[in-house]
Amino acid sequence: MKEFVTRRKRPLGVLSVLVVAVTAVAVGLTTGAQARSSADELKGAGATFPAPLIAAWQTRYEAAKGVKISYNPIGSGGGISAISNKTVDFGASDAPMTPDQFNTCGGCVELPWALSATSIMYNLPGLPNNLHMTGPILAGIYLGQIKKWDDPKIKAVNKGVNLPSTDITPVYRSDSSGTSFNFTTYLNTVSRQWKSQVGRGTTVNWPAGVGARGSAGVSGVVSRTPGALGYADIAYALKNHLKFFSVQNRAKKFARPGLAGIKAAALADRKFNPQSNELSIVNPPGSKRFAKAYPICTYTYVILRIQSDKANLLKPFITWALTTGQQYGRPLIFEPIPKYVVARGKATLKKVHP
Amino acid sequence: MAVAQERAPGPAALQRRGRFRPGDALLYLVTCAAALSGALLLALITREILVEAWPAMQKFGLSFLTTQAWGDNNKTLFGAKSFIFGTAVTSFGALLLATPLSLAIALFLTELAPGWIKRVVAPLIDLLAAIPSVVLGLWGILVLGPFITGTLGPAIHGTLGWLPIFASKPTVGSNMFAAILILTIMMVPIISSICRELFVSVPSELKDGALALGATRWEVVKGVVFPYARAGIAAAMILGLGRAVGEAIAVTQVIGNNVAIHADLFKPGDTLASRIAGQYQGADTALQVASLVYLAVILLVFSLIANLTAQLIVRRVAARHNIR
Repeated sequence: MKEFVTRRKRPLGVLSVLVVAVTAVAVGLTTGAQARSSADELKGAGATFPAPLIAAWQTRYEAAKGVKISYNPIGSGGGISAISNKTVDFGASDAPMTPDQFNTCGGCVELPWALSATSIMYNLPGLPNNLHMTGPILAGIYLGQIKKWDDPKIKAVNKGVNLPSTDITPVYRSDSSGTSFNFTTYLNTVSRQWKSQVGRGTTVNWPAGVGARGSAGVSGVVSRTPGALGYADIAYALKNHLKFFSVQNRAKKFARPGLAGIKAAALADRKFNPQSNELSIVNPPGSKRFAKAYPICTYTYVILRIQSDKANLLKPFITWALTTGQQYGRPLIFEPIPKYVVARGKATLKKVHP
Repeated sequence: MAVAQERAPGPAALQRRGRFRPGDALLYLVTCAAALSGALLLALITREILVEAWPAMQKFGLSFLTTQAWGDNNKTLFGAKSFIFGTAVTSFGALLLATPLSLAIALFLTELAPGWIKRVVAPLIDLLAAIPSVVLGLWGILVLGPFITGTLGPAIHGTLGWLPIFASKPTVGSNMFAAILILTIMMVPIISSICRELFVSVPSELKDGALALGATRWEVVKGVVFPYARAGIAAAMILGLGRAVGEAIAVTQVIGNNVAIHADLFKPGDTLASRIAGQYQGADTALQVASLVYLAVILLVFSLIANLTAQLIVRRVAARHNIR
């Protein structure tokens, strides 16, 4: 009897393993099919920073070329993950990929395709927009050393403004963010202590303040917390009617994160990083050429797979975005990228093939 | 042997009938595959997590547990200390608030409430569990946070400010206290619904006996209901704790995500699950990814211990009452 039981069991066991295997294969096939997007559609995901610009491109490009562009603004880190996992046709990130991330991605290229600024937003009820701010004060605030709004250092650059004695609550991005990369890169250039103690990155160990998820989270906490200060792309601050600082540049002028300030900063770096095509334009020199420059500007990047099934659709779209598409950025405070950046982008794009 | 055969259907039963029944065989096949794939999945997930975490485990060893750093020394030093602290404080804090609240709810609904209140309130409390955690987190940012900074925080600080856990007035709504309140809201439906079942299952002869001896309502609860359900309540608490330890999204939205250890609950902090949810996508270096997965290993061990403890308790109680 006992033997009978075991003998009867064995084929069932084998069969059940087979069932599991078949199910696994089936699931694998369906997900594989989902990853490949339909014929005339390009799928993208990544940074929230260029999302308003990409939204402006979508309708115009579909009308002109009949190719649908979809974009999921999940954050720079999410964009890098998505293109690495081949779930999208293009990824977008405000931070250039690190060597480790290039390794994970395996056969990817990155090129700058838009240009804008990171604004420093604040919530001080009753006080005007565009108060003055300097890099060292910002570093002091995020290091937890400058704690009150009526600190003598802040008063010194805002003469005649009645600053309250409330606590400053610095707010930062808790998720992996290209805007954080831009902002911490800037703090690195203005504060030695910041550079040695914290450093730059899409995520860093913030010494003071509170984290919030996404640009929406940061602006949400800032707008609901009197005395708070946070950073997000300028389009975001404008759209949400938040006040933002004029920040002092190295020419000692206070510049706003507007088109003029971005345009002036755009030419600060002409040496592309050979792997990521990074151009770092934060805190340009104090020469007359950069007198109007806003010091916290950034290029934002698109990431493509060198071998892509959609290369025949991707290459025309990226070329269009680098050239014709740039003009639609101005109302959204995206300054058209300079010619040498366009040329470099086109050269990099040549590597992409089906 | 004979008893065991009666209890175990399946192939033995099929064989005894002497006839092959395709329907029964299929049922056996499908259910067996489902059960096996569940176990297989757990094994595969555990293996994958260990493989991914290996670089960090190798580099930091157990000192990872006692290091309070995240990406320090130019992104070479990672540690879990502040996240373990944050996880422990928020989950036990929530347990401390949720347990008496849940017991009160369960007692009221099973022993005291009139029928119509029972029928309306019980499903509503269970529905609390149906709120997606991301929605609860959003509510935490938009409503709970400002309420803590504006009203609740100053009031608590004013009366209990001498306690180190309420030492400062909250300046921002994202802090450990907010996370504790959110987790409490998530725990209450779990603990209270289990307790309700437990209290209902207390034999009415026992309660009637106590009442007949002249016991008051409170004495019945204290002397009969609680002792009878004691182990079950402990298991319910552990299940609630497991929920709190693993909660990522709602916590990451309200806790303030700071790598720090403060006794003060009105300061920001972070938990294991929240850190993983916040930074897994787009981590800068391979070591950061491995360290995040190392956090997941710790979390997995926590949850396994909690669940096993709960199962042990339930089994012990079942054995005592001869329930099989």
